[in-house]
Amino acid sequence: MLIGTFYFIAKGWGVTDKEAREYYAITILVPGIASAAYLSMFFGIGLTEVEVVGRGTLDIYYARYADWLFTTPLLLLDLALLAKVDRVTIGTLIGVDALMIVTGLIGALSQTMLARYTWWLVSTIAFIFVLYYLLTSLRSAAKQRSEEVQSTFNTLTVLVAVLWTAYPILWIIGTEGAGVVGLGVETLGFMILDVTAKVGFGFVLLRSRAILGDTEAPEPSAGEASAAD
Amino acid sequence: MSDDSTETIAVLNMTSVVGIVVCFVIAAGALFALPTLESRGIGFETAFWIVSAAELVTALGIIYFVLNLHEERG
Repeated sequence: MLIGTFYFIAKGWGVTDKEAREYYAITILVPGIASAAYLSMFFGIGLTEVEVVGRGTLDIYYARYADWLFTTPLLLLDLALLAKVDRVTIGTLIGVDALMIVTGLIGALSQTMLARYTWWLVSTIAFIFVLYYLLTSLRSAAKQRSEEVQSTFNTLTVLVAVLWTAYPILWIIGTEGAGVVGLGVETLGFMILDVTAKVGFGFVLLRSRAILGDTEAPEPSAGEASAAD
Repeated sequence: MSDDSTETIAVLNMTSVVGIVVCFVIAAGALFALPTLESRGIGFETAFWIVSAAELVTALGIIYFVLNLHEERG
């Protein structure tokens, strides 16, 4: 995660394009905060115990939820900027996303399994709304833009849809839910998902010419320049 | 012939840059703040929600500052 942060900083150093700067600012902060969250969990600060009726004491990595509260709105902002939607749509999308994470948080701290599953369900419904917004409002807005933007937007939306769907599944089968898989598998699973959903997302986004503003045409590559001649 | 009087250039808004940095520092610091809050007599759940609120508010702050990262100057 930290390597991803430094890679994005190095790649974005000296970028002058107005729109590209915005994407870099957002995309650097995402793995940056995730690195801090992992560091706090590594030092045992981001971990607590919750007494759950019938299940005993559960280890809850609360720093993970705090990280998601910060990073998921920013990832969605990247997609919203690509699609060039209005600020009301951005606000609605991020509001539903915050609801998704906060209800997940309440579920994580709940002390009965019924309450935990209920809050998981509420959080998952909010997640379905986030996906709905991505696949309808944002997708139709992205269709008005260049082919490069559409292609990058579609790739990133598929990435988000697939990876974000895995989170509630891992939660419900993990130690905080039904306990089908152990803490080691769960932690490894969340780590792989986090790295892919944050660094992988940033890598796809920042490699694309879609992040360059409409007013600044990208420099043609050597091959393109000679072909034009 | 272009009319120079109507041309605007996008200039980096330094207030937004500072805002982004400050929000990031607060968000990163909040991830380590829970034990400190608890040592000051605040219960776990209250401290936990303070940390969570800090993360969400700083994320919203960053969104605001990113959306205003440049200002048009004529």
